[in-house]
Amino acid sequence: MSARPDGQGGAGSADGSGGVGGSGGAAGPGDLGDLGELHRELRAVARDLLRRNAAKAGPDQTYATVDWSLLADTGWLGLEAPEELDGAGVTFAEVAVVLHELGRAAASTPYLGSAVLGVGALRLLEAGPGRDELLRAAAVGSQRLAVALPTGDDDTAAFRLDAHRVSGQADFVPDAAGADQVLLLAVDPDGLPVVVRVRPGDPGVTVTDRPVLDETRGLGTVVVDGAPVDPASVWRFAGDDPAAAARRLRDRAALAMACDGLGLAEAMLETTVEYAGTRRQFGRPIGSFQAVKHACADMFVQIAVGRELLGEAVRSVAADDPDAGIAVSRAKSYVCVAAVDIVGAAMQLHGGIGYTWEGGVHVYLKRALLNRSLFGAPAAHRARLGARFAAP
Amino acid sequence: MTTPAISTADLAEFRAEVRRWCRAEVPSDWRRTQAGASDDEFVRFQQEWFQRLRTAGFAVPHWPAEWGGGMPVAQQVVLYQELAAHDAPRLVLGFVSIHHAASTLLAAGTDEQRRRHLPAILDGEIWVQGFSEPEAGSDLASLRTTARREGDGFVVDGQKLWASGAAHADWCLLLARTDPAVPKRRGISYFLMDMRSPGIDVRPVRNAAGESHFCEIFLNGVVIPAENLVGPVDQGWQVAQSTLSAERGMTMLELAERLGNAGFRWLVETCRTPGPGGGRPVDDPRVLDRLAELDTEIAGLRALCRGLVERHEAGTAGPVEASVVKLYYSELLQRTMDFAVEVAGLPAHAELRKPASSGWESGAWVLDFIGSWEWTIPGGTSEIQRTIIGERGLGLPREPVVSS
Repeated sequence: MSARPDGQGGAGSADGSGGVGGSGGAAGPGDLGDLGELHRELRAVARDLLRRNAAKAGPDQTYATVDWSLLADTGWLGLEAPEELDGAGVTFAEVAVVLHELGRAAASTPYLGSAVLGVGALRLLEAGPGRDELLRAAAVGSQRLAVALPTGDDDTAAFRLDAHRVSGQADFVPDAAGADQVLLLAVDPDGLPVVVRVRPGDPGVTVTDRPVLDETRGLGTVVVDGAPVDPASVWRFAGDDPAAAARRLRDRAALAMACDGLGLAEAMLETTVEYAGTRRQFGRPIGSFQAVKHACADMFVQIAVGRELLGEAVRSVAADDPDAGIAVSRAKSYVCVAAVDIVGAAMQLHGGIGYTWEGGVHVYLKRALLNRSLFGAPAAHRARLGARFAAP
Repeated sequence: MTTPAISTADLAEFRAEVRRWCRAEVPSDWRRTQAGASDDEFVRFQQEWFQRLRTAGFAVPHWPAEWGGGMPVAQQVVLYQELAAHDAPRLVLGFVSIHHAASTLLAAGTDEQRRRHLPAILDGEIWVQGFSEPEAGSDLASLRTTARREGDGFVVDGQKLWASGAAHADWCLLLARTDPAVPKRRGISYFLMDMRSPGIDVRPVRNAAGESHFCEIFLNGVVIPAENLVGPVDQGWQVAQSTLSAERGMTMLELAERLGNAGFRWLVETCRTPGPGGGRPVDDPRVLDRLAELDTEIAGLRALCRGLVERHEAGTAGPVEASVVKLYYSELLQRTMDFAVEVAGLPAHAELRKPASSGWESGAWVLDFIGSWEWTIPGGTSEIQRTIIGERGLGLPREPVVSS
């Protein structure tokens, strides 16, 4: 058994139309609401492409890497960039479809740093020549971006801007190492959040790799120590509430974890159901034992609930709903917890083979665990939700 | 029965209309008058409330337009939200009538059966479900009550159990065995039984919460005319299965909004009420964490129920969505009530009665918690739902049948 999404009996063995994680016949798994034909098509194309890509992985690899050039060819990098800047002019709802499929495949790709956070951050900024040029470059893939924003439970910006210089440090920044340009979420001398663009290798800017157990993700540390700043590289958030815009950026990051988490949870349920239907012990398939069957049913229910919460959050973020934060914190906390439960159950139900390196379930478990921690642990998101009930 | 789409502005206008109606029509003192109400008082109150809702067009919004419903799902959600938020009484007595009986008649009944009963239900006809038996609980298909063909009708003998509200019922949805010679699921027929027929004896069974709405029904030579058969003879199991998804969607939509807009809000109120020492439970971060978790799960449940109804109308609902919703609601209700008992502390144990006509979360938390097993056990236990999800939803192999 391999959980590698190569179509050889592992997690990616479901066809593009649905799979056991789906809530029902016509609705695909993670069919995030009324997305219609465009999303079904995007989902099918993404799943097929990722499966073919995974098949090229070497026999010793437990996960697949999606090359940058392949990502650029798909057009996924610029989904949210406006059409006049060579993007597709669509919303986070479509980005969510891609994230969900990347999670299913546990694919290693800088999509999160550049397309989800980079393009997402630029979209929230006031238009201007410098921002527009970078947005165009990110959309077509000629520049790779990373966004240094708070990645833990505390969401205060880690960088300070004074008149001419910026300083600060951010850790576990997605896809920082290898990025051509890094966008720092900073606070200006007036206390307002701004975005400062720097390049690795600029004086005072250090970007280093930050290895983590989840090998499918590339994280980095961004240290900026009194780096001189060109005023043309300081960008303000559009609208009259920059703090809210900065929160929206964090929300998008948190929601990306949930999209990925739902995808990988579905993949693990499918591979577990397939295994339980074929593996025989005591003279019958282990899936006929109630203990195993009911554990799979619980995974199915968690996925069904998570899919609904995720759908609500994706719709509200895509619509720039001012209350999107509530739906995001619900989705992030529920789905990322459920995903760990589900992958954990997958490892358990696969028995000994599930615990081997070659089996590959560990790839999903590590990714699910990282998703749960990145951009706010479940408890941090629940604290945000709970604050509404505590007010005097 | 696809319902039309509705604009945001129309929905806001509808919400305002329901709010005005609730402020004018929801009796302000019903919790007091229904606490410890006699059976007669309860029935009278329920019938009166039902007619008030009916006049407003709010009693059976989920029915097709031609029978007096036709409300778009989005509006139904608003209606249920506002009824719950205004602490309206629930339709307890007519629950089986407007949901189970109606969806069975609409899905499988004859025109004559519909004409006879749907308007009667609007006029207050009360139904009970006669499915379970002492020896047929989770294994419902092994039921032993027999219906023997005799002349122009059927003669029924046997015993039904857990028939909620049977003491007040006019009619019964009855499953009985018409062919004992074939495999158990193929020999069952579905009947509409007049509860005034000779040979019916109803005895209440007191439940764990101390209430007696569950009943045993003893059937001795009860004659049912052939015209009261629903669907073909021996196809009753299939009729029961096919109406399940519809009725679950409709019932759960209301219950989920109730849990979100009434139960959870009262739980928050309980958590904000200072204890004897002056501190509020809500000032404890552990309490807030649990509230946030339940808030999230209830949001998920509500979306799930709404999705089920919409997909059912669109014909795209999956084979086990109804089981998923029933299982999730039951266990979430139980978890929520358990937590409410915990934060409410000792005073909750001194709430000795819950008002009749209230929801599953009345605020008498200990009784509500005990009452939550009325969800995890009947209508297919949680274990049965998991087996259904595993086998029909995921395609896992069935358990080998042990030969007897």
